[in-house]
Amino acid sequence: MNAALPKVLCLKKGTLLKQVFALSSAATPRESRLCAAGDAFVSCYRHYKSHPAHGIGKFKYLLPKEAPKKRKDKVQMKEINVGTEYEYGDVNIQMTSYDMCLVEHFAQYVHKLCNRLSIRVNESYAMPTKTNEVLFLEERGSKMQLDAVLTTHQRVVQISGLSSTFAPIFLEIIQSNQPEGVHLLVKEHTEADFKSRLKSRPELEELLAQMN
Amino acid sequence: IELEKSHYSDHEIRKLEEEEQLRRRKESTYDDDDEAPGKTVIMAQDLEDKWEQKLLQFEAAPRITDADKNNNRTSLNRKLDSNLMLLVKQKIGNQELWLLPQVEWQPGETLRSTAERAMAMFLGDHIQAKVLGNAPYGIYKYKFPRAIRTEDNVGAKVFFFKAFLQSSDLSQAELKEDYVWVTKDELGDYLKSEYLKKVNRFLLDL
Repeated sequence: MNAALPKVLCLKKGTLLKQVFALSSAATPRESRLCAAGDAFVSCYRHYKSHPAHGIGKFKYLLPKEAPKKRKDKVQMKEINVGTEYEYGDVNIQMTSYDMCLVEHFAQYVHKLCNRLSIRVNESYAMPTKTNEVLFLEERGSKMQLDAVLTTHQRVVQISGLSSTFAPIFLEIIQSNQPEGVHLLVKEHTEADFKSRLKSRPELEELLAQMN
Repeated sequence: IELEKSHYSDHEIRKLEEEEQLRRRKESTYDDDDEAPGKTVIMAQDLEDKWEQKLLQFEAAPRITDADKNNNRTSLNRKLDSNLMLLVKQKIGNQELWLLPQVEWQPGETLRSTAERAMAMFLGDHIQAKVLGNAPYGIYKYKFPRAIRTEDNVGAKVFFFKAFLQSSDLSQAELKEDYVWVTKDELGDYLKSEYLKKVNRFLLDL
């Protein structure tokens, strides 16, 4: 607000008679300095459309136009598995446990280890948690039901570019650094793994079945 | 356990609410008599007490089993927190030496299958050990003493593979000669220095 008023005043004074010009020239530098001191981000230097330097900072019209973003991500990469160098394709390292903090910290550790060893990490995501309810039925006269709610958490780190000479060493490091209570599973990435992350749409499938 | 940026869990929220209810009821008596009989069958505090009692009853298994008492190096129950390796006493040439289980390579066989054969020979057929990769972990070269050297055979190369034991069930093992399960530090008691140097290079210890 403060920045707008002096600007309006300057413009008005500029369009008026020349007699007032001297006054305005004395007034504007002080006011422009004030507005600069008050708000560093508000630039009072935007010129009107007829000014020769109008639109001087624009550049987006120079960039090539991007295609609009599609919703479907059906990207699947598969590398050569058997070659002269014998490199593995996409490998999933899945860690499951009941304790969420342990699993998260372990996943972070694996991720940082891969960065350190310059192995390319494609993705590092979490699978939805599964809840199990444990009911004890103690029959010592009175049946007591003690409930326990267990949540199973799973984290996946996806890797590509493992050479076969290095893979066993890497596996051994991860295995020996496993915390207690964390299950480790290392397998190659398949379509089924990719699709397990997506939600199924029963209505769409029903309609498709009706059509066919 | 994460202590920063952590929210209260359901159990903790319930406990706090019940504490507040108790306080309110104490301050102003006969406040919410209608609500009382329905909710407070089991309080969160009671549950916590029950769980604490269960914890006290639970006894963890001892960490130092046979290691302290016997120092029996042939059993696998020794140092539970570090890795153990198998050493066997083998006769090579004229000498009897302590070595990692070793078997001669036959032409036409992959190196990995030779290693598996060596394992089968020393530990029985049905061993649940897993060799991770086809590439060897280390190599040791030596030359035969002059007496045995012929034109072709100047020396020998020994390739080392690593295998992980899945189960600690060695009841079917038929170990005839002496065998020992040792950690990395105790290897120096048994192996020769040159051999030891090469072996130490690829052994991970935690």
